[in-house]
Amino acid sequence: MSKKLKKCLSVLLKLTIALLVISPFYIALIYSVKSKQEMVTDRLAFPKTIHWDNFTRAIETSNFVLALKNSLLTTLLAVIVITLTCTMASYIIARKNNRFYNLIYYLFVGAMIIPFQSIMTPLYINMTRWKLLNTLHGFVFAKIGFQIAFTVLLVSGFVKSIPRELEEAAAIDGAGMYAVFFRIVFPLMKPIVLTSIVLNALNVWNDFQMSLTLLQQKQVRNIPLTQYFFFGENSIELGLAFALFILSVIPILGLYLTLQKYIIGGITQGAVKG
Amino acid sequence: MNRKMKKQLQEFTFILPALVMFAIFVAYPFLQGFPISFTKWDGMSPNKVYAGLKNYTKIVGDGNVMNAVKNTLLFTAVTMVFSNLFGLLFALMISKKSKLNNVLRTCIFMPYCLSLVLSSYIWRYVYSDVFYEKFGIASPLGSTTWVMIGLAAISVWRDAGYCMVVYIAAIQGVSIDYYEAAELEGATWWQKFRAITFPMIAPAVTANFTLLLAWGMKVFDYPMAATAGGPGRASETVAMLIYNNLFTYFKAGYGQAIAVVFTISIFAVSTLVSKALRAREVEI
Repeated sequence: MSKKLKKCLSVLLKLTIALLVISPFYIALIYSVKSKQEMVTDRLAFPKTIHWDNFTRAIETSNFVLALKNSLLTTLLAVIVITLTCTMASYIIARKNNRFYNLIYYLFVGAMIIPFQSIMTPLYINMTRWKLLNTLHGFVFAKIGFQIAFTVLLVSGFVKSIPRELEEAAAIDGAGMYAVFFRIVFPLMKPIVLTSIVLNALNVWNDFQMSLTLLQQKQVRNIPLTQYFFFGENSIELGLAFALFILSVIPILGLYLTLQKYIIGGITQGAVKG
Repeated sequence: MNRKMKKQLQEFTFILPALVMFAIFVAYPFLQGFPISFTKWDGMSPNKVYAGLKNYTKIVGDGNVMNAVKNTLLFTAVTMVFSNLFGLLFALMISKKSKLNNVLRTCIFMPYCLSLVLSSYIWRYVYSDVFYEKFGIASPLGSTTWVMIGLAAISVWRDAGYCMVVYIAAIQGVSIDYYEAAELEGATWWQKFRAITFPMIAPAVTANFTLLLAWGMKVFDYPMAATAGGPGRASETVAMLIYNNLFTYFKAGYGQAIAVVFTISIFAVSTLVSKALRAREVEI
């Protein structure tokens, strides 16, 4: 009996903690569907009428569709290129353990520490000179460059754990290096590839600092910039601001919930072994 | 000979794209930063004036830099300790595989998916509408003493889930045999934690502390979105100060000098901390 009670208490405690952690989401959710009047009377109460109007008006006045398009495009492109270039690079680094590739590996380890501020001014100037400032592809290039070190460290730790026998057998059968990589190694890397996709997608999608520096015109604003400027303009009409916030979270939460089981395994692979 | 070279060249093509992108957009601007830091320059005009070590000597006596350093260090210390503490506590509670624990894990990791900008805005209202309106606790974001702690709390909320995930995986990696042996000898929960779990997950502790340290030192988004560095300059961080030197004060040369010192400091501190933690790993 007392064991059962203990179990009950522990479940209750766990549930309370989880609820506390996600409780700030409640604020964002109810503020997004409250009318202006209700916001004044009792902010935290559950809304009496659901005010969907906030969403339609937020979409219209914030240029949300454009921001969503910009964010989806940049995230998709960056993640595809990062995944391809970094899995190939990690493969060769993990398999060829010679001085040259080790040197590159340690170069990336060191580069992980570089803060964005130390390259901000030169990057800004180069981008202006190369006509890449205020362009989506310019932002994608810079984002790819900045995520390479992290991703290579994450993935190469995993490649070391893949047995070589299959590759060697394929090589004896006369398959070229590219065929071996894309037909045999890449499919085996699936768990770590998915982890790196989620982590890089989160990083690019949520990037604020590099966006603020490289995307300074309205037509190239992505979601974090739109959040930032829209909030500045709508701190009085909170319903609109929070409706926009909810909309902007849906795609990335969707990705997280579909791929979440790959996050746990992958983060540890990279964080602990890498 | 020719075939060997061909093979090596083919191998090199595997790393070439990543290396090129990294070189153009990270390594090259990083190196360009050093000469800029020795100039007096507004960031736009074509002529930079060579200033020698002037920018660097100026940093030492600059109260704004010292203020930013102090704010950044406070933020880093709080986030490093508490994200790990909560992360580890949550991990210990829900590391066992079960349906309920899975759901709870999903919930606790969820804040990590939000952008830092959005987390900051939500918490502005958690502080003003819940803390103040419901409990009468003034928002820390309005106080010069508490603002960095208030910002750090947002970061702890967002990053504890990340730490938890790393700890859970580490805990699940510990062989069950150890616990069974300890139970036979009648070890208490705390004894098991001290003697088995904690030493076994030491690599995860090192990884999390180093990561949180790096994130903390680079903090930019939270103060930028939640307080704009205020009240006054009470929440201006080093990263913000460098940004402002380029885009607000037009002192790119001076900003770059701060950035160079900043990078070297992060490098030194990270190396020291990870060395100390690694040494501790061996000890226990």
